[in-house]
Amino acid sequence: MLDHALTHLQSTTLAAAIRGELPQAWLGWLFPNIETIHVIAIATVFGSIAMVDLRLLGMVGRRSSAAQIAAEYLPITWTAFAVAAFAGSLMFISKAVTYFHNLQFELKFLFMALAGLNMLVFHCGAFRSVNRWNDQLPPPLPARLAGGLSLLFWIVVIFFGRWTGFTT
Amino acid sequence: MHHIHTYYTVRHWADWISATSLSQWLQNAAWFVPTSQSIHIVSLSMVFGSALAIDLRLLGLGRSFRSVADLTRTLVPWIYGGLVVLFITGSFQTITEPTRQFVSPAFWSKMAMIVCVLALTMWLSRSVAADPERWNSIERRPRRARLVAVASLGLWIAIIYCGRFIAYTWTLHV
Repeated sequence: MLDHALTHLQSTTLAAAIRGELPQAWLGWLFPNIETIHVIAIATVFGSIAMVDLRLLGMVGRRSSAAQIAAEYLPITWTAFAVAAFAGSLMFISKAVTYFHNLQFELKFLFMALAGLNMLVFHCGAFRSVNRWNDQLPPPLPARLAGGLSLLFWIVVIFFGRWTGFTT
Repeated sequence: MHHIHTYYTVRHWADWISATSLSQWLQNAAWFVPTSQSIHIVSLSMVFGSALAIDLRLLGLGRSFRSVADLTRTLVPWIYGGLVVLFITGSFQTITEPTRQFVSPAFWSKMAMIVCVLALTMWLSRSVAADPERWNSIERRPRRARLVAVASLGLWIAIIYCGRFIAYTWTLHV
């Protein structure tokens, strides 16, 4: 049932264009361009969220408060995440069935879900009382734990993302 | 004619590197290139994220509360440190697949642009350290500040583009 929907998705003209299967030769450049935009976007996602994580670990940006660093970087993270998700979706539909059944691709999404869950737990938990530990160094254990796990999960996401390109 | 001569010269170097035992060993380790590229992307993220934060601040965009001097002092070391890791992983990737890299115009463009952006970053961090007050105030900031930010961002984006396009030189050109 799901495979049927995925097959339908990758049989669209848009999917064929991204695969470079249409007669127009220049469309061959579509996939590399989408891929590069995806790389620039994930570099921005990781480069910005890592700075927030390192501040939660009390390692970088110690002259600024934790909430200030988060407010400075998180809008950049979310904007770039939207771009990465859009470019990623375009690559996905080009070979939807293959990606969906690829182990590395599945693990990438598992770790992205873990990163999201970690962020949710932190925002609904320790971050609510940020005013009490905003300038405390090192930050309290729950904040350091959230920062460390976020760094780990996103690095794993990048690894499995790159490995997906080699196994599909 | 000149083009063909250059091609054979770089091809000669590439064949020599390819034949070394280190290159042979890495070529046979299927895990090596994807792993090295993953580390390359993680380091690239730290470099690009840091450059982006400084450049947005120079352009007056974004929500940074910090002074330009605070940002360059904190983030430029991440750019240098990241570049060291990028150089190491990139060198091993080049040793593993020298032909793919050396015949690609994207590879040589990328190298030239890295030299430019590195010089620009060094110049910026020294200028800001020399006169932090001037760089921080929007009215007194050098006119060049915006130009520097745009050039830096443009170069980094072009570098990432060229880096990814090395992989497609063979499939789309040859």
